[in-house]
Amino acid sequence: MDQCDGSPAIEVRDLRKVYGDKAAVDGLTLTVPQGCFFGFLGPNGAGKTTTIKMLMGLAPPTSGSIQLLGLPMPERSLDIKQQIGLVPDESMLFDRLTGGEFIEFAGRIYGLERGMARARANELLDLFELGNIPKKLIAEYSKGMRKRVAMAAALIHRPKLYLMDEPFEGVDAVGARLMKDILLDQVRHGATIFLTSHVLEVVERLCERVGIIHEGKLIAEGLMADLRGTAETLEDAFVRALGMEHASETLDWL
Amino acid sequence: MTHGGAIIWAQWRTFCHFNPRRGIAWPVLVNLIWYGLWAGAAYAFLRVFSNPAEAPVIRNALPGGLLLMFLYWQVVPLLLATTGSSLDLRKLRAYPIQVNELFLIEVLLRVTAGLEMVLVLAGLTAGAMMNPALAKWSLLAALVYVAFNLIIAVGLRDLLGRLLARKRIRELAFFFVILVAALPQVLLARRGMVGPRLRLLLARDSWPGWPWTAASNLILGKDFWPALAVLSAWTGGALLFSRWQFARTLAFDSDAASAGDSRAGRRSGWIEWFYRLPSAVFKDPLGALIEKEFRFLLRSPRFRLVFLMGFTFGLVIWLPMVFAQQGPPGGFFSRNYLTVVCVYSLMLMSEVCFWNAFGFDRSAAQFYFLAPVSFRKVMAAKNLTALFFMLLEIGTVTAVCALLRMPLGVQRVAEAYSVTAVVLIFLFSSGNLLSVRQARGVDPGSSFRSGAAGRLQAMLFVIYPLTFAPIALAYLARYAFGTQAALFAILGLDAMAGVIVYRVALDSAVRTADLMRETMIAVLSTSDGPIAS
Repeated sequence: MDQCDGSPAIEVRDLRKVYGDKAAVDGLTLTVPQGCFFGFLGPNGAGKTTTIKMLMGLAPPTSGSIQLLGLPMPERSLDIKQQIGLVPDESMLFDRLTGGEFIEFAGRIYGLERGMARARANELLDLFELGNIPKKLIAEYSKGMRKRVAMAAALIHRPKLYLMDEPFEGVDAVGARLMKDILLDQVRHGATIFLTSHVLEVVERLCERVGIIHEGKLIAEGLMADLRGTAETLEDAFVRALGMEHASETLDWL
Repeated sequence: MTHGGAIIWAQWRTFCHFNPRRGIAWPVLVNLIWYGLWAGAAYAFLRVFSNPAEAPVIRNALPGGLLLMFLYWQVVPLLLATTGSSLDLRKLRAYPIQVNELFLIEVLLRVTAGLEMVLVLAGLTAGAMMNPALAKWSLLAALVYVAFNLIIAVGLRDLLGRLLARKRIRELAFFFVILVAALPQVLLARRGMVGPRLRLLLARDSWPGWPWTAASNLILGKDFWPALAVLSAWTGGALLFSRWQFARTLAFDSDAASAGDSRAGRRSGWIEWFYRLPSAVFKDPLGALIEKEFRFLLRSPRFRLVFLMGFTFGLVIWLPMVFAQQGPPGGFFSRNYLTVVCVYSLMLMSEVCFWNAFGFDRSAAQFYFLAPVSFRKVMAAKNLTALFFMLLEIGTVTAVCALLRMPLGVQRVAEAYSVTAVVLIFLFSSGNLLSVRQARGVDPGSSFRSGAAGRLQAMLFVIYPLTFAPIALAYLARYAFGTQAALFAILGLDAMAGVIVYRVALDSAVRTADLMRETMIAVLSTSDGPIAS
């Protein structure tokens, strides 16, 4: 499964995002080829979400350039957004809609005809095992169910590029398996996936390429096998890259 | 409007799901009553404007009336922090929607901030069209004037919204807006100063270049083409301004705007001292709870805005009443100015302090149920915090009054503080009950959005008269016995009754919170749809 050699789906050059006097993302340069499953890792506060927000067009960069699917962001943002599927953080969901209504809404916003949006929404609800609670509002969903709805809404228009912020957070084992299978299937069909996750086992199993960001800077990037090197697991490689091997030393009183 | 249809549909579904258990009957009923009253006013305008005998009065009053409509639409919603519904751009920006389409929806949504004026204008226009003494261009004038108001409202709201999102200049910007908004009415009321010139704004001879004068001239059939050109120019200018502001808001990064620099921490030693003040007075956990409330409230833009409004807008809005009073000095508003302003400030602060104490601080609500602290203590902490900030507010009001050389004396100050204290006790009682029974999530970071749901607003119609009844009784006693002692005696009795009511209400609120904890947590963890109000 080495499909990471196409033309760039994501091309980021010297990207910087500054809040006050702190650079959340500091000179990030990154290329993700089309058809690649890319994992973007980093500890809390490293700049993952800020990066993905800039890619989604939710936060303008302080400097640097972004090209998605060969189109410049934000100049061609409308054309880009039409071709991407987003799994953003939960605040982007509309709590007082049912899951089916939200997925249908997303479909219509992406330009699907109303009947088709409704039909696909129902199919996706069934696929994500949410069809048995059609009247339940998103506000009443568990965290995992909210992630499933967000992913279903991202799939409805069959995008070429997926940008996902912690898509597996709070999802149960069955749901996670289902989501992984769907995503792998999308990659097989030529889609590109860029995801952030704290669950390194998932990233290790799914992603062909990985980038590690720390304090706003990309500290490692490459094929999974190269990055892991001599380490037994991705977790070992990750901790080593961050230079935090001794972080497990506990406090005296603890 | 491809996407517009989807957004409106999603909002309609959101509205239908507003309260799955109680349905939409209640909000519909409240809105029917409110807008029914305005529809009645519209009908009255229709009757007046359709009567040919009233033509001279209409000619005199119309420009001023249209100016007041403009102010009601543009300024009042901003000052009362209720700007109607608007697109939740945070949620919609990620989708492929044309900016023009979003802008059009936003313009149409501005109707929600001034639907009352649309009703009145509709009545007025229908009446004018039936009146043979008035021109037949009323409909055109009304449509263009409504369009002008809707469009300019988007620009003003966006501009102010971005200013208020910026750290440090937020309060300064708001203060400026208050002054700009309140200055005309103060000057108008000051006879012999700039009043006559400003009063021209409201009169039939006002400058024909104003949009309200142009709309009035169109309705009255005066200078048709110049008036149409003026109104169209204003509307075109408003369109350019608002479209520009909307695009800037769309590209606005609120996180970046509200980010402080790391050096701020070193400079704010005295703020940290202030935050820790409650812990020096009260033992934990009460001290810790109040300290947390201090930190939360003072870091919330919405709270700071309302606090600022209390001693600025609260003072300014009542000033014209004092100036406008005829006869010898010492009229009702002059004598009771401090009392009126203190009570008004209290009512302003109530929204952020006690009507929806858990909704305003929604992220902490779940913690209160989990922590090994009695809920009574949590409510007491919230009430003590509100009390502290109320004292600070009325202290500031008094200081500003003294600076303005308003007539103050020990007796007046004592009266104002006593009345405020009694009102506060009763409002705390209601607030504690409503905070658990009518909890509703509110974004404390938003300076604009109204925190009160329709049901709560309807309840306030009942609560306020009940709360002010004991105060009215005290003033009645002073009037009957002709002595200030009677006022204070009744206020004393009111306070004692208030303490009993407070204790009973607190017990009830604690019991209710225990019973409704699941519902409360569920309600407080929900947010809006694509359009927020």
